[in-house]
Amino acid sequence: MAAKYEQKDTILHVENLSIVYGEKVIISNIGFTEKNTVRPDKPQGQTIAFLGRSGRGKSTLFRALTGLEEPTTGMVLIPDFEKPIVNGQQPAKKVQEGDVGFVDQKYTLFRHKTIYQSLKYALRNVKISSEEKDEKIITYLKDWGLQTCRNQYPNELSGGQRQRTAILEQLLSSGLYMVLDEPFSGLDVGNIQNVKDAFRLINDSHELNTIIFSTHDIELAVELADSIYVLGYLKNDDGTLTQTGTILKHFDLKEMGLAWQHEFTADHLDITKQIKQIMLAS
Amino acid sequence: MLKKWFRPFEKIDLKQKMTIIGIWIALVLGYWFYASLGSKHLFPTPAQVWEGMQSLYNEGLVVHIGSSLGLCLQAAVISLLISLSIVYLSPLPALKPVAVFFSRLRYLPLTGITFYLTMLVSGARTMQVWVLVVFMSLYFITSLLAVLKDIPADEINHARSLKCSRWEILWEVIIKGRLDYVLDVLRQNLAIIWMMLVTVESILVAAGGLGVLIKNSDKFANHGRIVALQIIILLIGLLLDWILHVIRKGLFRYSTY
Repeated sequence: MAAKYEQKDTILHVENLSIVYGEKVIISNIGFTEKNTVRPDKPQGQTIAFLGRSGRGKSTLFRALTGLEEPTTGMVLIPDFEKPIVNGQQPAKKVQEGDVGFVDQKYTLFRHKTIYQSLKYALRNVKISSEEKDEKIITYLKDWGLQTCRNQYPNELSGGQRQRTAILEQLLSSGLYMVLDEPFSGLDVGNIQNVKDAFRLINDSHELNTIIFSTHDIELAVELADSIYVLGYLKNDDGTLTQTGTILKHFDLKEMGLAWQHEFTADHLDITKQIKQIMLAS
Repeated sequence: MLKKWFRPFEKIDLKQKMTIIGIWIALVLGYWFYASLGSKHLFPTPAQVWEGMQSLYNEGLVVHIGSSLGLCLQAAVISLLISLSIVYLSPLPALKPVAVFFSRLRYLPLTGITFYLTMLVSGARTMQVWVLVVFMSLYFITSLLAVLKDIPADEINHARSLKCSRWEILWEVIIKGRLDYVLDVLRQNLAIIWMMLVTVESILVAAGGLGVLIKNSDKFANHGRIVALQIIILLIGLLLDWILHVIRKGLFRYSTY
């Protein structure tokens, strides 16, 4: 049965985004809007997936979404929660470095900091007392199963522990938005489950929490996301492909009644097949 | 077992490794004994080298070693401070050419530089220190620049995503994040400096040092002493190398290379 939900304020607005390196146009004409989803029965964050074949500009788009890459044209807007609401609307601002958390494929961490030191550093700009920071970190470490390795360095951690630390660090530093570049690549079945649990933990903790991730696993994207964008090359008139990534199709799984389901149904499978076809043609 | 020793990429246990090293040492020593037999020989006999060591010890070898180590330490500290300042500021576009320029200067011949240093510096000991500082710094800068160049962009982006300012990135990723590499660069470049001792210490004979001892022995063609000194210099060099390695491993648990 389709879950009830409401769409409220815009939480992410991307307009005419393109990125060019020298002569090469990597992505162009990217535009989409995501709104805050509100469910009556529980806090519900947003989970947005980006799918596309290798080299279609997913990582470049992600760097732009996180403010790590200056767009050649267009802009990425997010609500500016530091400003007061005007005419019932939260003013928007251009995304800047640090506004959106970013976990790369290698789960990069500070090599010279233990998990605890990394998390403490992520909280350095937060205006709460040192004791409160400690308390917060300890609670997170417990919830995320990292308590036993709090004094270990990244080189002493397993892949799964590194990834959870990288996510936590960004969560503590950036707050509501989190971009993860292929968080499932190279993980075993247990670690995939850990990341899925982490997504749920983030989504359930605040209705404005927004996870944006890319993956090559279409089924996993359909299972987890409530909004899916397929990135690829458009076809020229002569049937050849352009060499510039853009959004080819958007699937709003909320609207389709497929989001937040506990089981993978025939409808999910149908979407999976459709996405696969679009990707193969692009 | 022997078959394993001659198969590429074969893994052997510690006992076998030690046996192989033992065999090589025995072969080298055996060759040395054999090659120094007879009236005409290229190398001094082990007995001559032993005698050389004894006479060196009686002439205050320990004091000379102390002098050489003191010179090296003094030069290394000054050189590290200069090199690190230049390299840590190299991410600033305005100062990058300075670091690159100093790195290129390593191709300059020693003679040219000592000529100008003689005019600038007073006192032979200061001269010794500064010749070493100049050369150490050029190699340090080159190696440290390579360390900086190898820092993955992901690490910089990671710091940026945590709202680090550019100066915080410099502090966390470049300076604090690569401190263990500095020790390793010191370890690698110390070998070059240790090799330069003979030339540099000959500037001021009165200050002593292993270089002076080797120069004096050379003058009188005392081969036993020369080889003895070379062995001592090699062993001290290896000891310094090992000490720096142990310090790095002890201080930086995250240093995996």
